[in-house]
Amino acid sequence: MVTFKLNGKTVQGEEGQYILQVAEKYGVEIPTLCHHKALEPAGMCRLCTVELFDGRRSRFVTACNYPIWDGMEINTDSEAVHQGRKLIIELLLARCPNVPVLQKLAAKYGIQEPRFKKEEDDCILCGLCTRMCEKMGNSAISLTGRGVEMSVDTPFHVQSDICMACGACASVCPTGHITLEKIAREITKKKATLIPSEYDMGLKGRKPVYVPYAQAVPNTPAIDRDVCMHFKTGGCKVCTEFCGVNAIDHSMKDEIIELEVGAIILAPGFQPFDPSRFDNYDYANHPNVITAMEFERVLSASGPTGGHLVRISDHKEPKKIAWFQCVGSRDTNKCDNAYCSSVCCMYAIKEAVIAKEHAEYDLDCAVFYMDMRTHGKDFERFYNRAKDDHGIRFLRSRVHSVTPISGSDDLEIRYVSESGEAKTEIFDMIVLSVGLETPPETIALANKLGIALTPGNFARTTTFQPVATSKEGIFVCGAFQGPRDIPQAVVDSSAASASAGEMLSSARNTETKEKEVIPETNVAGDRPRIGVFVCKCGINIAGVVNVPQVRDYAATLPYVEYVSDNLYSCSQDTQDSMADIIKSKNLNRVVVAACTPKTHEPLFQETLLNAGLNKYLFEMVNIRNQDSWVHKNNPALATEKAKDLVRMGVSKVALMQPLKEAELQVNQTGLVIGGGISGMISARSLANQGYETHLVERDSKLGGQALNLYRTAKGEDVQKELAILIEDVTKNDKIHVHLNTTLSSVEGFVGNFKTNISSNGESQSIEHGIAVVATGATSLVPTEYGYGKDKRILTSLELDRKLIEKDTALKDIESAVFIQCVGSREPERPYCSRVCCTHSIDNALELKKLNPDMNVYVLYRDIRTYGEREYLYMEAREAGVIFIRYSLGKKPVVELTDGKIFITVTDHVLGIPLRIETDLITLASAIVPYRDEKLAQFFKVPLNDDGMFVEKHAKLGPSEFATDGVFLCGLAHYPKPIEESIAQGQAAASRAVTLLSRKTIHTSGTVAKVDPAICSSCGVCVSICPYSAPSFIDASARMFPGKAQINAVLCKGCGLCVASCRSGALHLQGFDNDQIFSQIFALSEAG
Amino acid sequence: MSEWEPKIVSFLCNWCSYGAADLTGVSRMQYPPNIRVVRIPCTGRMSPKFALAALREGADAVWVSG
Repeated sequence: MVTFKLNGKTVQGEEGQYILQVAEKYGVEIPTLCHHKALEPAGMCRLCTVELFDGRRSRFVTACNYPIWDGMEINTDSEAVHQGRKLIIELLLARCPNVPVLQKLAAKYGIQEPRFKKEEDDCILCGLCTRMCEKMGNSAISLTGRGVEMSVDTPFHVQSDICMACGACASVCPTGHITLEKIAREITKKKATLIPSEYDMGLKGRKPVYVPYAQAVPNTPAIDRDVCMHFKTGGCKVCTEFCGVNAIDHSMKDEIIELEVGAIILAPGFQPFDPSRFDNYDYANHPNVITAMEFERVLSASGPTGGHLVRISDHKEPKKIAWFQCVGSRDTNKCDNAYCSSVCCMYAIKEAVIAKEHAEYDLDCAVFYMDMRTHGKDFERFYNRAKDDHGIRFLRSRVHSVTPISGSDDLEIRYVSESGEAKTEIFDMIVLSVGLETPPETIALANKLGIALTPGNFARTTTFQPVATSKEGIFVCGAFQGPRDIPQAVVDSSAASASAGEMLSSARNTETKEKEVIPETNVAGDRPRIGVFVCKCGINIAGVVNVPQVRDYAATLPYVEYVSDNLYSCSQDTQDSMADIIKSKNLNRVVVAACTPKTHEPLFQETLLNAGLNKYLFEMVNIRNQDSWVHKNNPALATEKAKDLVRMGVSKVALMQPLKEAELQVNQTGLVIGGGISGMISARSLANQGYETHLVERDSKLGGQALNLYRTAKGEDVQKELAILIEDVTKNDKIHVHLNTTLSSVEGFVGNFKTNISSNGESQSIEHGIAVVATGATSLVPTEYGYGKDKRILTSLELDRKLIEKDTALKDIESAVFIQCVGSREPERPYCSRVCCTHSIDNALELKKLNPDMNVYVLYRDIRTYGEREYLYMEAREAGVIFIRYSLGKKPVVELTDGKIFITVTDHVLGIPLRIETDLITLASAIVPYRDEKLAQFFKVPLNDDGMFVEKHAKLGPSEFATDGVFLCGLAHYPKPIEESIAQGQAAASRAVTLLSRKTIHTSGTVAKVDPAICSSCGVCVSICPYSAPSFIDASARMFPGKAQINAVLCKGCGLCVASCRSGALHLQGFDNDQIFSQIFALSEAG
Repeated sequence: MSEWEPKIVSFLCNWCSYGAADLTGVSRMQYPPNIRVVRIPCTGRMSPKFALAALREGADAVWVSG
């Protein structure tokens, strides 16, 4: 240790350190322009000049490269130092009068105008760039020339072969002399570009050390070895100088890890189609033609434009934006993707709506499409709103070409309108709705694994095993199974895990490890002894908030017995030491001031448990996400805010009480309501995973709607496969089938339901831990198009029946017409029935096969053969099926005259009415839910306006309800084809098994509690609770009859009842009145 | 005279607005440091008494979001 005086104060530094390093440690600011922590100091800029007194005389030295020695006295702020520094700045400013950093320094030192002759330079010859280049292991540039001729340059002033265009010189240049453009123009022969940020779709650059995106899990930076200079030259390693915990190890090697597994699930995803090859859209050259994925980033607050809707070329707010649909989808001309990518119509509408919401002016959004495919749940409504409420224009046309308008950044597009006219229109920006495709590396993986692919390069699966690949034990989910949206991908991922679970059920829990439980210390009645741990989070918090000050402040607060600050509170070693401190200091309450409880509360609660404390004796104070990160430019006030928040946290934690989490046995039995395909699949999956299952069906036989279906879109025989499934279910001794049975009552809650079922007047009670709702839907009985007036006018299911029965009369038909959207996409039923387009087209093909001379017409509004179903549509057109589009306002008209059927429809191309004589009309009638309000009440689950059950989350929880322990699948959720019903049946079982496999569940401690002595039995809590947690104690009970009680299992801890309780009898543990008031009272220090 | 700065107390729902406030930080958006957040499990927990107490304690504004 070296001891010396710094501005009169005794300080210490390590042997070999320089003055500047020690001054920094003690918070003494010394200005410098040429210093860099990772580089050897050079004393070039002279700004860090300080006064050194060696006992006899004073002299000036540069702090950055003058080593410390015992007994020296340093003054960084004397008048002489100040004057000297001022002169240096004046000289530098004269040399480079337009450099902002020097102008700022000059202003700080009161320099108006330099007294010296001004030059037009912007380089101060600090040499930081050349030292950095050397550090990179390169030395492509150096200080060349002598005296006034000196400059930073490459040898002989020729563009360098050696320079690797890493940009390190530009990143450290204090004056802006070296820029990326200068590197490209004068220094390197290589291409100097930013490293494209994958997350920002290349619209922004990123560093070689990077976190892929702010919400990435794990949120740990990675080094991109392909661009990191260390892996090219062996130099650099600058990052290691900055990492406070020595976490960076450049010598880490890739490891091959061998895992022994029983099943594999493939979820490799997709890549967005690259439209560069479409020269007619000019995507490769024009910055204002972007893909939808790029547009997502433009709309995002964390994106390259900070969420401002501006176009890329000139950052001008666009007035007109066009979306082109089916770019890289439904196209065998410019690319080989014949399939529909399923998601693009919906995302284009969403982007257009959000763009309109972003723009504070009248933004014109136009979507150019072929068929609008909004076949998902509630999607049609969204489409209608986009059209009617948001005024988004939808134009049915495939745009021919895009031409940049010279002299502006605008774009002219050429297209043919619906009526056949050639049109042009000018837009500010074009968004290409690119499709989904399987990346080549995934195809290589599939080949390596030996699994079969479809023509569109997706994993080949069958309708009845929708997540099983062609190789046993390998399952697939997500976009590799076929282009799909989030809800479907979530369903499939659960289905894949259920499929793997069925295979591996015998191995369940064989590799789990039990955690040692530390006995809980009883703190009841003890005076609070609070420990406050303030986190620096590296520089994330400490870079803005003065952490030592906050820590010291915390020590002055009531009941605080211990304070400390940590570099990273979440690191394992800090966790261990925190647990030790809690034990050794006998702390009984803990406050951690760090990031957010949303991500880190469970971690610190674990630390409390490890120290033998109840995990609810804890409060987290958010001084990162809600303080240091959002008040970067205001360190003083950010520190004050941190102190306030810590004070509020401390006053709350003092009032925290240990809470109990009720443990609850989970009945290991399942109940599946509905014996259709999805219900049977669900029951079979539960049984195959080892759980007794009751399958209740109101009808006299199993099968549901599938009994009416002829074949699947993939050509499988539905009746054959259905018979196998029914046999599987009836023969499975873990499945108890109850036919002709309905539910008469349901009691209980997750883990412990008791349901009474009645069958032919006989009643039976079933106890079960979970329930799956698979009650299906039915086909609309049409009231239009002459249905019921002639036996040649059928519904799709009735035609299927004829096909199942191999009706020989079918092949004698000369003309057949299919009418789509019968009862769907109507004002009273504003949803798409999803399956009918594919179903009708498949049957149209079947009729064509029976009699190739038959005239087959499909009258439609939009053809919605999403995914690889599109091939059927192509095949039908090739087979001569005639597709005629009609609009809702101009529906086809059916006439029955003299025993003949005529149908009149206005042809969308010719614009004139066509009259077709036909022998068969098939109506694609809507799928209509049963609107089962009784069942909804039994399980306290909601129905939507259309009468379908409402899932927990439209995207992330499609196969479960918000009510714990109740799951959902099949048509009761939304119309869907067999493969999706099966996947959802498996998904519901999968979600159910996450509960069943636990055997016991713990409720949260943060639940409401009644003080029955105060309760006035008014019943507000009982009526207001969305989860039915409060109830009245039985009137005949010995204790507190008629008072409210809370079922902790059902309580979600929202506190609605507590806020509503008029008598103050209800308390929300963990967020009780006194606890929240204590925070409010601690708002200001005086309080 | 120093410029007056309001003191705002915000009661944020744990599931939405509190998470949004976290994300604001993750996205490094900047806002003035005048807000003190009280995390509540749901805005259903919000009682008018909390708002009144905050105003009585000297808050210039109360913001409930959820």
